[in-house]
Amino acid sequence: MKMFRKHVGSISRISTQLQRGPPTVGSIAGLSTEAEAAPKQERVDEKITEFRTAITNPGGHSPLQIAKFYTIPAEEKKRIFGGGGLPKQYELQIKTFTEACLMVRSPALELLQYIKQADLSKPVVRYVLYGENGVGKSLTMAHVLHYGALHDFLLVHVPWAPNWMKRPKETANATGQEGFIDLPFDAAAWLVHFKTQNAQLLQKLQLKTSKDYVWSKRESTPTGSLLTELVEHGIARIKYASETIAAVISELKQLSTAGQCKVMVAIDGFNAFFHPETRIFSDNKQRVTPDRITLTQPFLNITNYDWTNGVCILSVDKIAMTEGYMESYMPRYLLGKDGFEHLDPFVPVHVDNYTDKEFTNYISYYVDRFWITKTAPDLEDQLKFMSNKNPYTLMQLVRGL
Amino acid sequence: MLKRALIYGKFRTNGIYGSFENGTRWSRLMSMYPPHYAEPIFKKDSQNMEKYELAKLSHVPIKAALNSSSDTIFNAELKQKMLAYIVKCGNSRLARELLTKTFEQIKRAQIERKHLVKQDNGHAICIDAEKLLIQAIENSRPLLQLSSIKRGGVKYQVPVPLTSKKSYFYAMKWILDAAKEKDRKISLSSKLAWEILDAAHGQGRVIKKKNDLHRLCENNRAYAHYRWS
Repeated sequence: MKMFRKHVGSISRISTQLQRGPPTVGSIAGLSTEAEAAPKQERVDEKITEFRTAITNPGGHSPLQIAKFYTIPAEEKKRIFGGGGLPKQYELQIKTFTEACLMVRSPALELLQYIKQADLSKPVVRYVLYGENGVGKSLTMAHVLHYGALHDFLLVHVPWAPNWMKRPKETANATGQEGFIDLPFDAAAWLVHFKTQNAQLLQKLQLKTSKDYVWSKRESTPTGSLLTELVEHGIARIKYASETIAAVISELKQLSTAGQCKVMVAIDGFNAFFHPETRIFSDNKQRVTPDRITLTQPFLNITNYDWTNGVCILSVDKIAMTEGYMESYMPRYLLGKDGFEHLDPFVPVHVDNYTDKEFTNYISYYVDRFWITKTAPDLEDQLKFMSNKNPYTLMQLVRGL
Repeated sequence: MLKRALIYGKFRTNGIYGSFENGTRWSRLMSMYPPHYAEPIFKKDSQNMEKYELAKLSHVPIKAALNSSSDTIFNAELKQKMLAYIVKCGNSRLARELLTKTFEQIKRAQIERKHLVKQDNGHAICIDAEKLLIQAIENSRPLLQLSSIKRGGVKYQVPVPLTSKKSYFYAMKWILDAAKEKDRKISLSSKLAWEILDAAHGQGRVIKKKNDLHRLCENNRAYAHYRWS
């Protein structure tokens, strides 16, 4: 329970930080100190056309907005990414820059277009984001997630799946299934994340469970109770959190197939579920494979194509694996035979390094946020050369400038 | 790699190393170059010089540029020197990482400060970490030092002026020492960042140390003549 409070505490901390800075337009206006009110307004507009866009709804993004920054309103950021979803270093940048800005990039637009045009009555389409380290797979996912949150998708979002395999908070033997491992705290934390992301929508839709869930002699969730009740039970009774997740996910599948809701599944580092081993040890001091963890099953279940009215956005990542399994970033290699067959057929979406325009805009954004204060004539060329236009490398290079 | 063409140089007079203030050239005793070799000029913007200067250089042999000296935005003379002082056991990669993190923290702290005071004079706050580092080092450079000199069987603490090279050395050493004096749980980068910020604003322990030394020198001014008599 203590871990949990920490988790919730961090959410509130982020929110207070965000509240400190007003969203983009205001803060830009505030930064130009010497100008008066009227020219200030002009300057803001100018800046918006330069490398920012005023469209804060990802649904409105088109190729016109490519390589431009849009601001995620603080409220929405807190709701969607409060429990994770943005990389840690990016959160730090957000705090320093006093605004949560994402760049509109082509992989995200491609995905958004697919999702908009998809026929939801057909079995779910799995989109797999792949690419080198640090090209922005997670942020692409964040962009799409923001779209989903604004367009009435129920979000089933795993911010970083390898956390469960690599550094679980606590492990316990599963009660229900013999030889399986439970991660009660992580499961409960995920339920909290699910609840905060979808609280409004769940309130609106009033989704009901389709069958009885008997947890123990005294505890049970009867048919027809609300999905939120089920989730809350899982949060309150951490022991049953993993089973609750399985229940919630199977319920969601049924509900969406029945057309009561739309579901967006977003799992970052999905290939961790197919890693040959985890860092968890069983009772007989042997490493457990991911399929022996109770949390794996529901998320493999929901990435299957046997349901409709949903989309699955998965990312495969080299750093979701451990040493010795990181030779290539290609989905077939990272997922392995089993994983590939599980996902087959899927739509691969390649995330690449910045284009020249994106790179230039990023540099101007950094300059705008005072993150780069150096002015050398060939600054951009040098950074381009050093970073190979890789977003993460650029971030690492620029921090010491 | 730098081309040979970039390496043509001249006698450096503006750098902090390479010459004493009285004009005599300083060189290492075991240097591989004879003293008449000129320092290389690897910075592009200092290569634009007058014709007669170039003519002067055309027959002077020039030292090869160091591997580490390249004309990038990431290098600066004092920064490189500071880096060399941070290195332990030849682990310069770690040192570079530490200094990068230091700069990052300085920037974050300054930007936060800037946002706090943005209403009135936010533009007065310097965010450039490198400038702040240079400012900090300049602020903490001592002018004098006490050296013990024996006269008539008694040792006197005699105030002695420092060369510019030494004063830079002390400034950087003090800043680093102050940063190393920390709790085990605090990383060097964050402490160093605070020390640099303090020193750049003319406060903090390093500045105090410098002022203390100056005060001691001032108190011992009566012995100053022992330097030469």
